[in-house]
Amino acid sequence: MAQQANHPLPNGYRLEEYTIERQLSLGGFSIVYLAADADGRQVAIKEYLPNSLALRGEGETRPNIDAEHLGAFRYGMKCFFEEGRSLARLSHPNVIRVLNFFRANDTVYMVMPYEEGRTLQEYIQKHHGQISERFIRGVFTRMLNGLREVHAHKLLHLDLKPSNIYLRNDNTPVLIDFGAARQTLASDQPILKPMYTPGFASPEHYGKRDNLGPWSDIYSVGAAMYACLAGSSPPAADERLKEDHLAPAMQRWAGQYSERLLEIVDWCLNLDHLCRPQSVFSLQKALVETVIPPKPNRHPGNWLGRFVEKLNKPIL
Amino acid sequence: MRFTIYQESRLGGRKNNEDRTTYCYSRDALLMVVADGMGGHHYGEVAAQFAVQALAEAFQREARPTLADPFLFMQKAMLSAHQAIADFATSHRLEDSPRTTCVACIVQNNIAYWAHAGDSRLFLMRDGRIVARTRDHSRIQLLLDEGMITAEQAATHPDRNKIYSCLGGPTSPEIDFSRKTPLEHGDILLLCTDGLWGVTPAESMAAALKGRDLMQAVPRLLDQTELHGGPHRDNLSVVAVRWEDTCIEDVTTSISTQAMAEDEVTTRLDQFGRNPAYKSELSDDEIEKAIDEIRAAIAKYNPKQ
Repeated sequence: MAQQANHPLPNGYRLEEYTIERQLSLGGFSIVYLAADADGRQVAIKEYLPNSLALRGEGETRPNIDAEHLGAFRYGMKCFFEEGRSLARLSHPNVIRVLNFFRANDTVYMVMPYEEGRTLQEYIQKHHGQISERFIRGVFTRMLNGLREVHAHKLLHLDLKPSNIYLRNDNTPVLIDFGAARQTLASDQPILKPMYTPGFASPEHYGKRDNLGPWSDIYSVGAAMYACLAGSSPPAADERLKEDHLAPAMQRWAGQYSERLLEIVDWCLNLDHLCRPQSVFSLQKALVETVIPPKPNRHPGNWLGRFVEKLNKPIL
Repeated sequence: MRFTIYQESRLGGRKNNEDRTTYCYSRDALLMVVADGMGGHHYGEVAAQFAVQALAEAFQREARPTLADPFLFMQKAMLSAHQAIADFATSHRLEDSPRTTCVACIVQNNIAYWAHAGDSRLFLMRDGRIVARTRDHSRIQLLLDEGMITAEQAATHPDRNKIYSCLGGPTSPEIDFSRKTPLEHGDILLLCTDGLWGVTPAESMAAALKGRDLMQAVPRLLDQTELHGGPHRDNLSVVAVRWEDTCIEDVTTSISTQAMAEDEVTTRLDQFGRNPAYKSELSDDEIEKAIDEIRAAIAKYNPKQ
């Protein structure tokens, strides 16, 4: 398929009751704009525009869709509706909300609240390997509240990764981009082209998709936590299945983080889906348990060692 | 690295597309592959898929972010695809092994390396001219090289589709390697199957792409080729890249790998089998219905504050 870049709608463009301020991001599937609504409140508007199927030239508002691509374009629209449907029914502070959904310019748009912040991915890049246990526990415990809500609606996120976890300025996390979310019960849908991110996708994403479940999102949670520790993503699950080069968190960061946290990361990253936490609740329970500080092996006995140990002790 | 890339594979006038293409890139290396599964043999598309997958998977594994030895990399990956095809033939008890051509190209540190087996081609275009190309592993090419026949005769020669090197089949493939070729800003590398080069001469392709945006010019080139190819035209596939200087920031359609992590690889490879996208249609009424449904859910669960 073609790899093309679409021209965004121009700044100042009036889209229904919204005024486009600027483009926020450009993906293969959509463009996200920053816009203002009728009351001047900032919103993010996601425009369905798969660049392999629909091309918008400079100065145009409607994309050009070849007759031969129309079927595929409409099919992709179904997935976009799927995302809208999933999000519209969720109302949770840790899950992005949908404010509006409409059709214009031969395509469809989803309006979401815009908040100042950055993605966890950006945070990891900035603090490469210097993320505190307190931060990880805080962010993930709250993010899991959102994921619990998602699973409670019989939905799976299926594309959880640091770049899909948005941090507001006060560091409260919000789950964004449910492009891959599918209602698990609707199994009569034709098989969708798998959409996943290597390193964060579970082994089930690659192989037996029948085995996808909450534990698959939990694998991604583990991978995202691992990325917080390592500063980069763990090896892809399909590679791990062939030959596992993943250094267990328990070994790699022994003494730097609490054993319990490292154990949880390794637990989530188990290749066997039955050996992971089976529900977000059980994972959350483990995550908020009392923290056992790292063993003071490195600084035996002396007063300085005890002092360092105290400093390293994570606070919940 | 900064480049503009386009790939497409079309059915032509055939019932089945046995061509496969892929490209992958890491922060500092780019891989492109075109394979043409051979029609006379069964499972041509399986062989072609093995070829592009073997190269893509090896690239994902080894591009960290560059490859230690691009030529060795291509040789190993192409031979492992050859072996995989042979294993497939054995395990499925096929009388004859599936076969495929394969042309692959790596670009890293501004240098292009390519390798091929069979008659899928690579052209290096500069300023609208062909400055380098692969030589087919075909009898026709040998006859041409020896001056036994002219280019016009070759175009209609009955043996023009016969090749003596490919992946799969009883004998090991003969793989030709290029020189290390430094690229200049604006250079175009085009990999294609005979469905394209057999109809549109390379010189015309170079002229058609010169100074144009590949995103529009390549599909147009395919359109014209299909037009001239007649009703029984072959599958036609292409991967084309325009190489750009990292320091020149002008084109918005180009890909910059600057921000990629060292161990990150992006792959464009269509899934095996037919594109599921064409199975279903969504009518206007259904679109309206879906939107109404979503708006109703918003009103119910996320009322305006």
